[in-house]
Amino acid sequence: MTMTDIRVFDREFRVQVATIGEGRPLLYLHGYDGFPGEAPYIMRLAKSHRVIVPEHPGFGESSGIEQIDGILDIALYYRTLIERLGFDRVSVVGHSLGGMFAAELAAICPQVVDRLVLVAPFGLWLDEAPIPDLFYLGPAQLQRATWHDPEGEASQKAMSQLAGADKQSAGEAIIARAGNLSAAGKFLWPIPDRGLVRRLPLINAPTLVVTGESDRLISAPYGEAFASKIPGARLVSIPGAGHVPMAEQPDAFFAQVGPFLDPS
Amino acid sequence: MKFHWFAEATYPHLPPDFAERYHSAWVDVPQDLFEPEKGGQVLNGFLNMYEYAAEVGLDGLLVNEHHQTAGAMTPSPNLMAAALARTTKEAAIAVIGNSIALYNPPIRVAEEYAHLDCVSGGRLIAGFVVGTPMDSSFSYGIPPAEIRERFAEAHQLIRRAWDEPGPFVFNGKWTKLRYVNPWPQPIQKPHPPVWVPGGGSIETWSFVTENDYCYGHLSFSGLRSARPVVDGYWEYVDSVGGNMNPNRMAFTQIICVSDTDSQAEAEYKEAVEFFYRNTNKASRGFTNAPGYTSQASMRWQQEIAEKRGQDRNAAMQGEMGWKDYVDKGFVIAGSPATVRDRLREVVTELRVGQLIACLHMGNLSEEQARKNTYLFAKEVMPGLKDIWSDWDDLWTPQGRREAAAKQTAVSAASH
Repeated sequence: MTMTDIRVFDREFRVQVATIGEGRPLLYLHGYDGFPGEAPYIMRLAKSHRVIVPEHPGFGESSGIEQIDGILDIALYYRTLIERLGFDRVSVVGHSLGGMFAAELAAICPQVVDRLVLVAPFGLWLDEAPIPDLFYLGPAQLQRATWHDPEGEASQKAMSQLAGADKQSAGEAIIARAGNLSAAGKFLWPIPDRGLVRRLPLINAPTLVVTGESDRLISAPYGEAFASKIPGARLVSIPGAGHVPMAEQPDAFFAQVGPFLDPS
Repeated sequence: MKFHWFAEATYPHLPPDFAERYHSAWVDVPQDLFEPEKGGQVLNGFLNMYEYAAEVGLDGLLVNEHHQTAGAMTPSPNLMAAALARTTKEAAIAVIGNSIALYNPPIRVAEEYAHLDCVSGGRLIAGFVVGTPMDSSFSYGIPPAEIRERFAEAHQLIRRAWDEPGPFVFNGKWTKLRYVNPWPQPIQKPHPPVWVPGGGSIETWSFVTENDYCYGHLSFSGLRSARPVVDGYWEYVDSVGGNMNPNRMAFTQIICVSDTDSQAEAEYKEAVEFFYRNTNKASRGFTNAPGYTSQASMRWQQEIAEKRGQDRNAAMQGEMGWKDYVDKGFVIAGSPATVRDRLREVVTELRVGQLIACLHMGNLSEEQARKNTYLFAKEVMPGLKDIWSDWDDLWTPQGRREAAAKQTAVSAASH
């Protein structure tokens, strides 16, 4: 894990970045729940790729969210980060909020995106399948909406690694979590729609959309909508998994995502 | 000292088991609980109470803005102010205030405040409000992370609209206007006095102090809970060499005056408990909007939490009863002498020159509110008026100062 300073839009950003593994470069854009660090699914991706995991501005240790004015800025920020880290083109795996970012990056800066995986992505709104207000739900309700098995190992492990779990005090943990959700809110509040529906047809990267069957945040209609609007995209739904399928059903997840990222 | 009449324009006709059946009086409280004919009568009743307060000599009439709540049926305080600007002639019209980040474009605030100032003859107090999370983020959909930035830009535009001759260009991030040139303009120069309420965000302290605005601590939590916030504020002002004039501090206090101490419970218990149990609270899901409070302010609030006392949360969640609300200082209740003594303590300890007397609460009857107001005006206020009299009050509107001076001259002449 390193802290990197980068200058974008004539402003300073401080980014926490984990870089793991060897192979073709893969950018992992994390979800609203926080920076995953060296989570098991990151390490598994790193077996076959050089995985770059930046922490989004405004999350955890990473600064500059007040310099980000919207989804265009996020796409240009990540395009710039990719270039600054020395890459021309990367595969991108985006989860949850990071899925919104990844799709926008692929639409707006197609030249930097090789293959695209969208895991339980935010970014669309369907009146017939309203997404629960994750900012309103209490912790227990959010847990039930997120996990196929809220009491299971994957869920418990993720809870223990929630933003701020490493902090000295419960008070600091609350402050850390508020910081993450505040940054996420710039894109998800009050409705997680910043116009991506118009830009999905512009994506030319080969795309795999992955959803968890039990996900009550990004439910089945959303997987279908993403897959149908991105030219040539394929949809996979993982049984026994919710919003974080790579944590709840890693084998089933990698059985699909592995070959997709490495068609050879 | 100045004394302002205030009440939340509460809809009182809620079912007796409201607090048990509904998790929130705010944001998603079912609309079918509101009967418009009754609501109209209640709103007219509040206007009656404000006008009566003006008659018996309160310095100002304070109206506020809230959205989607049974606790306050006033999404547009300017509508209340407009009625009162016509039906009163002397009292200040204190609009505390427009949630300026929610007006699109914010020039609308400059326009409407100017209109009110003109019609009232320069009696407007212009409040700029950030807005609670329930109002700004849940009801009006502003991402919490954006609120303060939008507020700051709106403030800039409104001040320029009053300070700078138009037409001028405003190229903001949130508002872009090519010809800013509002008609009307306010009577009061350079501009109406500005009050800004705060609940414990330290960013608001620097904002009000730099601009020499009046700061308002408008929570219904009484002396003990307010003290760390207000003390913190004055310490900050002192540390940056800001204006220590007590007339730039406003404080809300629920006040229940009866002929004797023992009568207060019979006359006010139901209304006080209605207020705290039913309509003063919102579901926890709606009070916490991540990003609304900066991390620095969160840290500071955590530090003072112990000083504010365990009682505060229980009180604000409606878990206490009349006796505790009074004994623990959330409500000041009793005979005029008792109320006067308690208030003297509050305003001198907290250095408050603008007391916002909440003389109606919950489902109190109009009749009892009138009685409360009468006793307050005739038996409590005179004994407190002299406090801070050695300080100039630049946060009372010009039209009000002129009217009050005339009143004083008239009563002096008739003695």
